[in-house]
Amino acid sequence: MKQRTRNWLLLAPAGTWFLVMLIVPLTVVLIFSFGERGASGGYVPALTLEQYANLPARWTAFKNTMVLAPAGTMAALLIAYPLAYFLAVRASPRWKTILLVLVIVPFWTSILIRSYAWIFLLGGRGIPALLGWAGLEDIRLINTPFAVLIGIIYGYLPLMVFPIFVSLDRLDKRLLEASSDLGARPWHTFVHVTLPLSIPGIATGCMLVFILLMGEFLIPAMLGGGKVFFVGNALVDLFLQSRNWAYGSAVAVTLVVVMLVTVTAYMRLIKRLGAQREDVAIM
Amino acid sequence: MSNNNNYISKQKFMEELYRYKKGSVTRRHFMNVTGLGAASAVMGAAMPGLLPRPAFAAGDIGDRVILATWPNYHDPANFDAFSEATGARVQVNVFGSNEEMLAKLQAGGSGWDVYVPTNYTITTYVDLDLIEPLDTSRLPNYNAPSYDPRYAEAGSVGGKLYAVPKNWGSTGFVVNTKHTDGGQPLTTWKEFWDITMNQFSGRTTVHDYQLTTIGNALKYFGYSFNSIDEKELADAEQLLLDVKPHLFAISSDIQPSMRSGDSWLAMAWSGDGKQLNTDMPEIAYVLGAEGGELWSDYYAIPKGAPHMDAAYALINFMLDPAVNTKEVLAHGYPTADATTTAMLPVALQNDPILYPAQDLLDALEFGAAATLTDPNRAELMARFKSA
Amino acid sequence: MKLYAIVVYLFLYIPIGVIALFSFNAGRHASQLQGFSVKWYAIALDNPFVMDALKTSLIVAFISATCASVFGTMAAISLQGIKGPLRTIFDMMIYVALMIPGIVIGIATLIGLVTLFNQLNPLLEALWPAGLQPPKFSMGFGSLIAAHTLFTMAVVIIIIRARLAGMDRALTEASSDLYATPLATFRQVTLPLIFPAILAGFLLSFTFSFDDFIVAFFVAGSETTLPVYVFSSIRRGVTPEVNAIGTMVLAASLTMLVSAQVLLRRGEGKNK
Repeated sequence: MKQRTRNWLLLAPAGTWFLVMLIVPLTVVLIFSFGERGASGGYVPALTLEQYANLPARWTAFKNTMVLAPAGTMAALLIAYPLAYFLAVRASPRWKTILLVLVIVPFWTSILIRSYAWIFLLGGRGIPALLGWAGLEDIRLINTPFAVLIGIIYGYLPLMVFPIFVSLDRLDKRLLEASSDLGARPWHTFVHVTLPLSIPGIATGCMLVFILLMGEFLIPAMLGGGKVFFVGNALVDLFLQSRNWAYGSAVAVTLVVVMLVTVTAYMRLIKRLGAQREDVAIM
Repeated sequence: MSNNNNYISKQKFMEELYRYKKGSVTRRHFMNVTGLGAASAVMGAAMPGLLPRPAFAAGDIGDRVILATWPNYHDPANFDAFSEATGARVQVNVFGSNEEMLAKLQAGGSGWDVYVPTNYTITTYVDLDLIEPLDTSRLPNYNAPSYDPRYAEAGSVGGKLYAVPKNWGSTGFVVNTKHTDGGQPLTTWKEFWDITMNQFSGRTTVHDYQLTTIGNALKYFGYSFNSIDEKELADAEQLLLDVKPHLFAISSDIQPSMRSGDSWLAMAWSGDGKQLNTDMPEIAYVLGAEGGELWSDYYAIPKGAPHMDAAYALINFMLDPAVNTKEVLAHGYPTADATTTAMLPVALQNDPILYPAQDLLDALEFGAAATLTDPNRAELMARFKSA
Repeated sequence: MKLYAIVVYLFLYIPIGVIALFSFNAGRHASQLQGFSVKWYAIALDNPFVMDALKTSLIVAFISATCASVFGTMAAISLQGIKGPLRTIFDMMIYVALMIPGIVIGIATLIGLVTLFNQLNPLLEALWPAGLQPPKFSMGFGSLIAAHTLFTMAVVIIIIRARLAGMDRALTEASSDLYATPLATFRQVTLPLIFPAILAGFLLSFTFSFDDFIVAFFVAGSETTLPVYVFSSIRRGVTPEVNAIGTMVLAASLTMLVSAQVLLRRGEGKNK
């Protein structure tokens, strides 16, 4: 009995926190999503499905998010994987730590400032000017989905490299040697030994990046010129411009539902794929 | 104290006045050197309101004041002079639309001391009890008779003064004539939208602001800038959706991309036009022949401002004609204050960007309060952006 | 392979190089180099709003990371001994807190707390003794710390649970067989074992909070954190001051990282 009381006491602060800061606000959002916009903005109580019926008006924002979030995740994975492989398998132990730290360091500057650097690089006086010099005239990069994609990859690459590196680094090098001793070609070794063993890392990295991208606001706002709109941007607009709290709540609820469904389905899939390891968790 | 300390020759006085106007010395330095500080202290005490005077001594008003305003709308040197004179530093927060300011105030706890609402929004702020009535006795530099009522009257609601005029101006567009046929600027909103969909595809910037972006799309069809008619708004929406793939950006801060050459055509407030035209003469400011917006911005204090004394001190300081003159020189928006206008260089007093020709001016409309709260306009803008 | 790595490193470092390069720009505009100068560093360091924002960010990050580590550790330990519906509810809450995008946390906290305060404030005013100024709830430090703690606490719980799961149960059992009190067991056995995880959780929480823009954008009220300040400077038309701030933050975190590494190495050396 005493043990039980102690457990309850230990759990109390965290429990209270989750209740006041998570359950209550999310409930308010859910309630508001059935309400109406006040005459000059805000919220007035009502019981209507009008806000949900109006969701198609944000279809493009959802579509952009549902296209660019997985695309960004895949692109980051494709770029990160060879690097992580290089760091874990090929790099000399002396350099390994330093090189790994060098991947994380950019992550230590605010994503705001890093995206802002790309405004300059992708703007008319940056890369397009260089391309113009090389004879490729009139290439426009800034304020395009491509610019947003670059920003996404740049912003989240370290988050992808790290877990993959960890899973590859744990891999027993003798397995690779055994495989090649048995006459397997390098490509074969990679597909049948290395890749399956690194799936937990891939799964973790993809999930981290995907979750962050689904709620992204800053990168499209800064590199998309207000034209490439994510759900996050639509939400900021609804709360900080048109002051439609009811509709904004409905969009937020929808985003959360979409995410929970996608991520849960994704985790099931990963489990089925045979990564029955327990370390499909954060980091 | 020897008499010599207070003596200053006429020539020296004019030199100091010139230096002060140029901004190379601060107001406090000017006041001290010329002895005007002492004089105005004595006279000000005897006849309050006779002379512009610093309302507070250093340290009295706290060490900071927070200002919510628009992009490219101040002379930073004036803020430095204000801190020098009062000890309070000015933190500037920049917004892109009146809606954004209203949203922040509605959510509570904005922390602002002074903000700059546009004429048509003030009644809404009064209705929502988000704006503080002004005590004119704390604004000795506000000389009401000197202000053109056309640009000052929206500051009073129900006979109470809530806001004092900052600047007025028009909303037109800027175009880089390097890229137009024969180097000629465009002349109408119809041309603005048409060229965006053709020759200038990918080069046009529109405001992230429902009033001007929807308003000027309405002008394409010859409707009122302020229309909230459903059919007319539907036409404007169709135009905006057609144009969207051809835009460079939806942003209220148009200057960086116009300067870098990424954008060739952009909706612009007259001061943006003046600033760009001064630095890059190939950029012309145009008022669409069909009309558009005429506006007047005001200084106001939000309810619950944390540094009320500093707020009054800042507004009072900015209304000082000497300071106001420097503001106009820096940002290129005219003021409704006749005293300040008289102090401007003659060339500027006749500048066609600041003071448009009568026929162009007559075609302009003030924004209407209904546009701020109309749910259809707000949602139309949001749909356009997320399309 | 090596070449590929070099290209990726270039991709990672060119933008940072550009930021640093322009921080030494003598001119006012952030996109045109006009000679070398360190004046923007002086301007940034002399700007009380930058320093205030930095202070706010550090305080918020420190308090929320501390709360998250302490409460998160407590919860992780107690969850080990809990089964049944309470455990399921908790697991679900942690899962939801991790899945929900920051922007939704920001919005939910904003409208949840504003609604709550609108109910509470009149109530307080009515209950308060006449003549005294009643306290008034509003968005600010408190709401910001609370929101950051929510998310980071979930991360801490996950990390510590992973560590606890890998821990040998026999150790704590042996300890209690030897009649150690639960507190003594915790202090002498569990804590040393999970300490690296707590430290990692704290650092991760601190970084998250220090770097967060979107939650602060909604719930910081009148407080300005460093990322919020930088965002509004970027909108105001950038001067190289922003670059100087970014370069300094980077340099400071690098120094911290390197000295932590050196300290750890030294500690290891002593143990051997």
